[in-house]
Amino acid sequence: MTYNDNRTAPGRLSVAVLGAGLIGIDLMAKVIRSDHLDLGLVAGRDEATSGLRQAARLGVPVSAGGIQSLVDVERPFDVVFDATSAASHAEHVEQLSPFGTMVIDLTPSRSGRMIFPTVNRADISAHRDLSMVSCGGQAAVPILHAITRAHEIDYIEVVTTAATLSIGRGTRMNLDEYVGTTQEAVRGFTGVADVKAILNISPARPPATFRVAMSLLGKDLTTDSLRSVVLGAAAEVRSFARGFEVKACSANDGKGFVAVEVTSSGDRIPRYAGNLDIINSAALLVAESYAADRLSMAGVVNS
Amino acid sequence: MTEATSQDVAGGKPIQIHDPSLRDGHHAVRHSLGADQLRAYALAADAAGVPVVEVGHGNGLGASSLQVGQARLSDTEMLSITREALTNSKLSVFMLPGWGTIEDLKNAIAHDVDLVRIGTHCTESSLAERHLGFLREQDVEAHAVLLMSHMADPGRLAEHCARLVEFGATGVGIMDSAGHYLPSDVTERITAMCAAVDVPVMFHGHNNLGMAVANSIAAADAGASILDACARGFGAGAGNTQLEVLVPVLERVGYRTGIDLYRLLDAADVAERELMPAPPKVDSISIVSGLAGVFSGFKTRVLDISAREGVDPRDVFFELGRRQAVAGQEDLIVDVALALRGAGTGDRS
Repeated sequence: MTYNDNRTAPGRLSVAVLGAGLIGIDLMAKVIRSDHLDLGLVAGRDEATSGLRQAARLGVPVSAGGIQSLVDVERPFDVVFDATSAASHAEHVEQLSPFGTMVIDLTPSRSGRMIFPTVNRADISAHRDLSMVSCGGQAAVPILHAITRAHEIDYIEVVTTAATLSIGRGTRMNLDEYVGTTQEAVRGFTGVADVKAILNISPARPPATFRVAMSLLGKDLTTDSLRSVVLGAAAEVRSFARGFEVKACSANDGKGFVAVEVTSSGDRIPRYAGNLDIINSAALLVAESYAADRLSMAGVVNS
Repeated sequence: MTEATSQDVAGGKPIQIHDPSLRDGHHAVRHSLGADQLRAYALAADAAGVPVVEVGHGNGLGASSLQVGQARLSDTEMLSITREALTNSKLSVFMLPGWGTIEDLKNAIAHDVDLVRIGTHCTESSLAERHLGFLREQDVEAHAVLLMSHMADPGRLAEHCARLVEFGATGVGIMDSAGHYLPSDVTERITAMCAAVDVPVMFHGHNNLGMAVANSIAAADAGASILDACARGFGAGAGNTQLEVLVPVLERVGYRTGIDLYRLLDAADVAERELMPAPPKVDSISIVSGLAGVFSGFKTRVLDISAREGVDPRDVFFELGRRQAVAGQEDLIVDVALALRGAGTGDRS
């Protein structure tokens, strides 16, 4: 069993993070704290980047060999977080699939099974390529899923605002994928066909807190009916993303408006960068769920 | 050339006029322009010899939304109608990455668009890298414009312009999206930009403080060779630089636009009659939005929401300015209005 090799303590899965940008480095910090995951490698493409240097300073094994450094290992990793770019993800999955590795995709590539932990956690173990969709998707879909189960909705719009300092080059080059993948996730999890996603980047100082504003059209929307489902769904999301907060929730004339903001509670990223925190916290929860499933199937007792 | 322009200095420096009336004007009429309106103005602008006519939703391709306003016509309809009406003028579109995508650009290219402008907030030029690269691969003329440019100093704007040229822009410029500039602000910025790049430099003025024409002349004098202007100033808030004023003023100063004055005045009359209930004016709320440094396009939403929540729209604009709202962040207006209402009544719940 791969999780029982000499690098990985019993009852834990071995993990690598591919990509050493803003997302990869925050993930690294979260995996290090996990009781069920052992971080074996952070792989980037350039030794001189601050991400790899930060990882090395923390004593984490690093490599500048990219995906090849995950393939050229004696024992393959149980879980790989892909924090590179949408265009590279398919190739990474192809290279890792012979090893049965669970690949959790932090890019908006749209290739794997989309997972929102409070909505379809049960789908995790049946797939080996899981998509975390996008930061805006992780904040919006749990709320929109709850709203559309209780209301007849004709149109949904999701406007995300993230602070410029929290948006790395990968995301900047993947805006189209962000928009397309977020829209597809909203369609898929709400059943509403007419969906629009928009992304704003704010350079305000002090930096703007990560925010997702959702506008909906639906004849039966009222402030009361909206509020009860939104607050319920938000409480569930808060179970893994503590800084998730509903800032506005109202409806009139068949038009609903919900705004949420997410602050980060992590130690390596600033409070405003809730976009990094929510997608990474969701990804971590997915890996831990997978670990729990794997270990319970193997009969290993979790401590 | 008509009499009015023939007396001007022959061989003066050419200025290319870029007319976004059919794009920016949408902000003034809740994105409601219809087919006949687009056709009527495009024909008139083409007849006047306006070199470039820009069309689309106020925030560009793919931007029809509840956030900013849903357009009456689709991008495809707007492109087809305008393309058909233009025989001499170039057809231009505008796109903000994060709002429109490469799919929208492909659609515009399929409609034989001549020029694409990619816009980003003034400090976020890297958001345009992918789309400028795509347009370069497609061999489509691509310019890049920095929005809300009063929020960055001249050196910073110049650096971003240089990067945009590296990404593939064959023209770069700034928009005074809030109508905040005075002529000396424009001179400083355009001078720095012209020193940083060897492609044409563009300026797009708003008239919130009555400075749009003066600012545009300052831009030309500092080296800008593309100026935006709209018929009757048709645009967000207090309106843009007024086209039919700017052109003869440029000619008097000694620049050449190649535009026929009488036909231009006719086009402006068509615009006033066909496109707008009334020409934009520097009203009280527009002065405040210019002073506050907030995107002029917020005006109709700020007025709607302030009336609904019972707060002073001037306070809303100043608070949005304090929060450094960028173009596209219309969802903040509700938060600001609710916060002000709470503060006003002592009830923050």
